[in-house]
Amino acid sequence: MAKIENGRQSVDTRSIRTISSSHIDDESSLGSDSEINGFTDRQTDKYGFIGGAQQCAQLGAQDVPPEVLRQREVKWLDMLSHWDKWIMKRFNKVRLRCQKGIPPALRGRTWLYLSGGKVKKEQNQGKFQELDNQPGDPKWVDVIEKDLHRQFPFHEMFVARGGHGQQDLFRVLKAYTLYRPEEGYCQAQAPIAAVLLMHMPAEDAFWVLVQICEKYLPGYYSPGLEAIQLDGEILFALLRRISPVAYRHLEKHKIDPILYMTEWFMCAFSRTLPWASVLRVWDMFLCDGVKIIFRVGLVLLKCMLGSREKLKACQGQYETMELLRAIEPRYMQEGFLVREILEIPVTARDLEREHHSQLKRWKKNRGELNFKSPPRMHGTRIIMLAEPPRRQDLQQNPTILVEASQPALLKKSKEEQKSKKRSVKKSKPIEEIPNPYSLPSDNSSRPSEPARPLPESSEAAEAVPNTKSDLLQQQQALTDAPPAKESPLQQSTQSLSSTEQDTYL
Amino acid sequence: MSETYDFLFKFLVIGSAGTGKSCLLHQFIENKFKQDSNHTIGVEFGSRVVNVGGKTVKLQIWDTAGQERFRSVTRSYYRGAAGALLVYDITSRETYNALTNWLTDARTLASPNIVIILCGNKKDLDADREVTFLEASRFAQENELMFLETSALTGENVEEGFLKCARTILNKIDSGELDPERMGSGIQYGDASLRQLRQPRGSTAQNKQQCSC
Repeated sequence: MAKIENGRQSVDTRSIRTISSSHIDDESSLGSDSEINGFTDRQTDKYGFIGGAQQCAQLGAQDVPPEVLRQREVKWLDMLSHWDKWIMKRFNKVRLRCQKGIPPALRGRTWLYLSGGKVKKEQNQGKFQELDNQPGDPKWVDVIEKDLHRQFPFHEMFVARGGHGQQDLFRVLKAYTLYRPEEGYCQAQAPIAAVLLMHMPAEDAFWVLVQICEKYLPGYYSPGLEAIQLDGEILFALLRRISPVAYRHLEKHKIDPILYMTEWFMCAFSRTLPWASVLRVWDMFLCDGVKIIFRVGLVLLKCMLGSREKLKACQGQYETMELLRAIEPRYMQEGFLVREILEIPVTARDLEREHHSQLKRWKKNRGELNFKSPPRMHGTRIIMLAEPPRRQDLQQNPTILVEASQPALLKKSKEEQKSKKRSVKKSKPIEEIPNPYSLPSDNSSRPSEPARPLPESSEAAEAVPNTKSDLLQQQQALTDAPPAKESPLQQSTQSLSSTEQDTYL
Repeated sequence: MSETYDFLFKFLVIGSAGTGKSCLLHQFIENKFKQDSNHTIGVEFGSRVVNVGGKTVKLQIWDTAGQERFRSVTRSYYRGAAGALLVYDITSRETYNALTNWLTDARTLASPNIVIILCGNKKDLDADREVTFLEASRFAQENELMFLETSALTGENVEEGFLKCARTILNKIDSGELDPERMGSGIQYGDASLRQLRQPRGSTAQNKQQCSC
């Protein structure tokens, strides 16, 4: 993780990192070379995993150039401040940007918006606190407590028994059992909640969890686990079209989908893929819904079992299962995987059609479903239509008020920005889009919103914490910025003072 | 197949959540305690070749999720298992009380002839004990189970548990009580036995694998 690799962040920023460590600064590995700098202690990776656990496909991991990242952040900040318009009118652009990967500094906030958790939270103000203050059914509390130290035990946030990570995990999971007593707690919810907690505070994580359980994957965690079994059948049926070779092999060896896809789907691949890929998959999943999960499953099956040569080595049920539990890293590598996911021709409509026929088969063979789940919603747009936000629901709650920037600095950065822009253009084509929304020239309405003050001036920024979330994110954004000295990246962050962003967009 | 063995047995590890099933498996395969483990969602695997009574036996072990909710899913793993470790936690009466349900599942879904050893795990936590040795051993007798108290932490009786179960299956094969040829027995001949039996290799072995699952 950056704090160790670079050895240059101050103590106070470090503690913030620990609280919400997956607001990753992607540029850290670009900005300095830990070996050269003499910081060879690489115990924690940039995602917060100790000893690089869950990082097996690190080779070829994609580091987005900091300039590109800064530009993306500005675009995302704009989208977040006009969220409903973007989702309703320019959804394809939002989707494209999710496919490119949400900037780490904004991932938590964006997930909250994408999932509709933000709207839910605003429309149920005080609900989480109320649930948080209740004791919880001992039946569930016992089971949850047993699982607290078993979620990503190699992540620095969850490594300490009874530490803040485990405490928040308990709060979120317990609150859910009180929110939906008829559902209670399912062990597979714990990794989902843990991933969310790596990106946002407990209350936000709770509402995103609610959305995942009720909108994205309804019924997955309910008693009887019927929905996951049904999805197993759907996956298998889709595989027939995507990879007939893999399909026939699984069929021949009578390998039930439930044998290999339970953990994949229930944990949304968070315990399967290398971390960089988990985040990219979740970016797309929360935007587009469960079809992304299906596509990941289909890619992995196709890659691992899709050719006769590969199947020669695994003649048997157990051998095949072993193979599927040891997926070759190259198939899970971020860039490869995302490309493959985008190419799998499976749409939400395909899923619904297959759902219909598999449900019919299920009813014929096994009778009615015991647990009626709400209908599945395929992505953020449908969720917004189903749960329309009030104007105030989408309002961001800025917590850091920035004093008006110094004009001299602004001017300087403008120049720098221009040159930066040119160089970026040369090296990598960046999408140019006309900005459909004029940005408010007066920043006072959303004082800190897109502002990314200079690292040096961060002390000058007046921090007024309203919510833990925004405070963290803002401070994260601050600490994400490279250090004052020796940094080739500094210029790009300097150029991002809020009044200037129109030149980017 | 790289290893030669006389038999291959499919084993299950079943029991309530948090009883230490995965840790028992890990201790058996790796000879060490797994300090920080995820809880199992779905199924985990391990295999090891052991020597029992002069025969080499490959144990193919399926380790299952323990939460009640997963039972509908884990049932599909039971098919064709020859042996099982039924695990409870000596410091949790609740996990002990659930044994009857697990037992019924194993006998109806795997095979009525499945050989089961009851393992009272976390023997090292004797101070917190909620289930006495005597009580559990009586339960084992009544239900025709073998019984051991184990500790995945120290490794005590872990190997014994798996070996004892394997030995019993071998004895039953020798006495004719178990027929490896029967479909769903959870037992396969390995290469070594196939040679002894002078059966053609390859195709037969493959067919067997297919029909036994």
